[in-house]
Formats: sequence, C-alpha cells, structure tokens
Amino acid sequence: MALGDCWKQLSWFYYQYLLVTALYMLEPWERTVFNSLLISVAGMAIYTGYVFMPQHIMAILHYFEVVQ
Amino acid sequence: MTESPLTKAANGEVGPHVTNGLKPGRNGVLRSVHRCQQDEEEVQRSSNHGGFYNRPFLESYEETPMLVAVLTYMGYGVLTVFGYLRDFLRHWKIEKCHIAREREEQKDFVPLYQDFENFYTRNLYMRIRDNWNRPICSVPGAKMDLMERVSHDYNWTFEHTGRVVKDVINLGSYNYLGFAENTGVCADAAAEVAMTYGVGLASTRQEIGNLDKHEEMEKLVAEFLGVESAMVFGMGFATNSMNIPALSGKGCLILSDELNHASLVLGARLSCSTVRVFKHNNMQSLEKLLREAIVHGQPRTHRPWKKILIVVEGIYSMEGSIVRLPEIVALKKRYRAYLYLDEAHSIGALGRRGRGVVDYFGLDPGDVDVLMGTFTKSFGAAGGYIAGRKELIDFLRSNSHSAVYATSMSPPVVEQIITSMKCIMGEDGTTIGSDRVRQLEENTVYFRKKLREMGFIIYGNNDSPVVPMMLYMPAKIGAFGREMLKRNIGVVVVGFPATPIIESRARFCISAAHSKDMLDRALSAIGEVGDLLQLKYSRHRQPASSARPFDHLYEDIDG
Repeated sequence: MALGDCWKQLSWFYYQYLLVTALYMLEPWERTVFNSLLISVAGMAIYTGYVFMPQHIMAILHYFEVVQ
Repeated sequence: MTESPLTKAANGEVGPHVTNGLKPGRNGVLRSVHRCQQDEEEVQRSSNHGGFYNRPFLESYEETPMLVAVLTYMGYGVLTVFGYLRDFLRHWKIEKCHIAREREEQKDFVPLYQDFENFYTRNLYMRIRDNWNRPICSVPGAKMDLMERVSHDYNWTFEHTGRVVKDVINLGSYNYLGFAENTGVCADAAAEVAMTYGVGLASTRQEIGNLDKHEEMEKLVAEFLGVESAMVFGMGFATNSMNIPALSGKGCLILSDELNHASLVLGARLSCSTVRVFKHNNMQSLEKLLREAIVHGQPRTHRPWKKILIVVEGIYSMEGSIVRLPEIVALKKRYRAYLYLDEAHSIGALGRRGRGVVDYFGLDPGDVDVLMGTFTKSFGAAGGYIAGRKELIDFLRSNSHSAVYATSMSPPVVEQIITSMKCIMGEDGTTIGSDRVRQLEENTVYFRKKLREMGFIIYGNNDSPVVPMMLYMPAKIGAFGREMLKRNIGVVVVGFPATPIIESRARFCISAAHSKDMLDRALSAIGEVGDLLQLKYSRHRQPASSARPFDHLYEDIDG
C-alpha cells in the first residue's frame, strides 16, 4: 500500500516536471532525447563533485587553518 | 499639479484623490511608490474619484509571480529549441513534412509560404491543436454535444470516431443571456419568419434588400439603447471595419485603447487617419495624448486636427475589464473629442436593465457619440449595429461600405433579434428578460468569488461575465483544455498571439442559462484540475467569508 502511494506520488511529480518544462507537449522520442541529455549532464556534475569534493574540502579547511 | 477633470473633486474636497490607471505593472514591475509601507501587494484596486462612479469599481490584475514567469520562459525556450530541431529534420527530409511547401520546380522563386513566420504555428500550436476548432453538433446553449475526434499523427490530421460526447457544460460560448436555444419563443418566431420571407435576401440594403422587418428592428434597437436612430449590419466585424473609415479620414486623429479588438484596429488602419494608442484603461495616458494632440496639432503642419475620435470597448474580452466610461465622457467633453464605444460584449450583459455599459454606469446615452454593438453575444443572432443621432445614422446609410456592398441581414436572424430584444425590454409581457439579466449578474458574482477563493488568479472587473483565469505555462494550456474535456466541461484556452506570450489563460464566459448546479459542478472540476496542474498561483487567498469592503477604498497610490 505504501509502495502504491509512493508510486502515485512519484508519478504526480513526474507529471509536474513534464508540465513545467513543457515536455508534456512533445512527442515521446523528444522527451527521451531531453531526459537523456538532462540525466547525462546531471550525472556528469554529480560524478565530478564526487571525485573532487574531498580535495575541495581539504583546501577549504587548509585555508581556514583548521588542518595543516 | 495641473487641474484636469479627473482630479477635480465633484463635491469640493480638498486634495485630489488619485487616479486609478496605476495598477501594479505586469510581470514583476511594481510602480507603486508606497510599496515599503504595504506588507503585501494590492489585490483589489477600488477607486473613488470624487464622485464619477456611483458604485465601487473593483478590478484586479494580480502580478505574475516571479518564479512562474521564469519557468514559463524556460518552457518556451525548451519548445523553441525542439522547434528548431524539428525544422532542421524537416528541411533535411529526415522527417516527413506536413505543412504546405512549394513544388520542387518552384524552389528558386520568391517564397510563397513564409517558413519562419509560421514557426510558432508549426511547432507550438500544432502540438495542442486539439483544444481548438472542436466540432459541435448541437445548439451551443448551457450544454452542448461534441464530436469525438482522435489524431494518430500528433494533431496534423484528425479522424472522427463517430461517437458523440453528450452534455458537455459549455463555458466558452458568448451566450450571456442564454438566447442561443432551439426551443422557445425566439426560435418559433424565427422559424415562422423563415416560412414567410425565406432565408436569403439576394440584395444589398440600398438596392432591394430593405425589408419592413429591418425598419422595425432598427427602431427597436434605437429604443432599446435610448438614442434617436440606429442602423444594422449583417456582420459584427464588418460593422467596425467598414464604418470607422466612413467616420474618420485623413487629418483626423484616432485614439484607441491598447487592447482593442482586431476589427477596430483594422477599421482605424483602413481609414488612413493618424492612430495613437493609449495604455489599457489608463485615463492619465489618454488625457496626456489628448492634450498633446490639441497643443501640437497634426504632425508636420501643426494645423488643428479635423476631429479626434476616442475608440474604446465596453468589456475587453481578453482581460475581462470594463471601460472607465464616466471618466472618458468627462475627458471628451472637456477636450471636445468624439467617442466611439464598441459594446460587443457588454450589450445585454451589463446594467440593471441589460442596456450595456452606459446603463451600468447610469450615464446618458446621448453623451456617447457613436454606440456600436453586436447581436452575436447576448441576443443569440449575428450582426452588428451602430446607433446615435439621426444625422449620423443618415450619413452612414449612404456613406458606409457595408450598407452599399454587403448583403442585408437574413430575416430569421432579424426576427431572433426582435424577439430577444423585446424579451429583454419586457415588452412581450413576461419577466423572462429581466430575470435573465439578474441571473447573469448573480452567476457572475458567484463564479468569480468562488474562483478567487479557490486561489486562482482571475483578471478583470468583478461585474464582468468574461472571466479570464491565468495559466501561464504553455504545457498547461493544452493540459487544462484536455483535462476539462475529460470531466465533460468545454472551455476556451487562449495563448500567444491573442495574449502576451507568458500570460496565457483560460477564458470562461458565464451565461444566464447556467444553473447553480452546473456552475458548482464546473467549479469543483476546475478546482480538481487546478490542484492536479498546480494552477492556484494567487498569493492573496482570502478566507471564504470575510467582509472587508472598505479596506482598500481610500488607498493613495500616487506619489
């Protein structure tokens, strides 16, 4: 039951996303193109963050002289 | 401050009350000087201008929320990018092209079809085209039947399945007094006249198409409006576009409102007069233009203008706003200009006796020089009229293009107008007319109040039966139309180019034929769809039963 509710909620959020970005008006293949572009860009951003976050945090702490 | 009719108080108060016209600008630009003193923006602007109005003039145009505006632009950006992509695919023949194209042999000639100009039509309008041009197969009364249609190639072509969607609540027809019906006195009278006079007249008014019915109808229209004489034409659009050129020409100045209808704009352009536009319903802008025109005269020669014609509408159908007629009449008297009032939507729909916006404000119809209106909206017929003084109408009878060249009005339509007008005036012995006028007023107030309470952004004056509800985002235009049809309610949604690009809306037209039960059903469906699509943008949700009539009455908004 909780899974059903969760699925309904998620599909409502997806519907809102489609409406706001005007993907609602596009054909299915156009939606696929847009979604894959969005996911690949977001994925790359997250990966870059994951790879470089430790270095950046160490640099910040070094700047504020919390750690040598 | 220079004295002007607007700032002079009629009862001798000290200190001018300020004028109206300044409403919070659209799309985030706020021009109010007292912003820091208010903790929230003005919702309803109620103006009291030293005695011009005998009732509160309440209208509101809530500002577009900033986030919604940004997201709307973003949505249009996405659609534009995909539009370019599809055009590219069509150009390189990767995809089949459904739009009109020249033949291969003519590719090097001057292009017949302007490809880029139709960009919007091809790439945005076509995608949600199923919300418009829906075929109706019954009389468009309070309820109607629609033919069901499907499209297998994303709205380029439609097929009728053969099924009929029955009893769709009609919130889109301009049926303000409910005279669009196929039973009842009007329909019977029209049918009888069709048996006597036939349907087509095969001539123009000036030749042999002038029936005794036309004379009777024109006398009745003049009596209805309270003027000396009237003239009737077969088509409302043609009334404006063919008669304004007869009334003004070279050396005349036309001051027309920003949001005037295409027929008025076309008539003004055809007349070859100088046309200047003043901001919508903004009396300071109009006064400034009038003063400049009188002081500077014609553009190069500085001669005085032959005449100055102010062209306004009674109710503006896209905004739902009512014209500020008392102030315009005061301005016109002060500056000796002429007034042309197009009451297409307001005749029959406003006023205690249904006589239009002049009756609504309690003014004298003789103050307006040219009264124009149409029979399409409140009378259930077709055509338009021009009314005014006898000399004006006699002039138009011989000098109007429409009188000389257009076929005269068909007799059943004339009879429908005569019967419905007599009904509204109460001359048929019943109170049906006045009941309907009252019912329309009640329906309007109820509908608007409920929509505002639900949290939607509604534009326009509280008394206008045209209710525009803002949608803003392009995808929601299509989604709203389709979701409402699923719930058996037919609405009209409007987008660019009829409205500014981000201000797309759904426009409801209330009718006296709607019963309270129908309105309630429509309201609950609108509420449901509003929650589903997240359309409740208003930030001024007022509690359901609040009596706050005098909160904003004396707010000073000018600096």
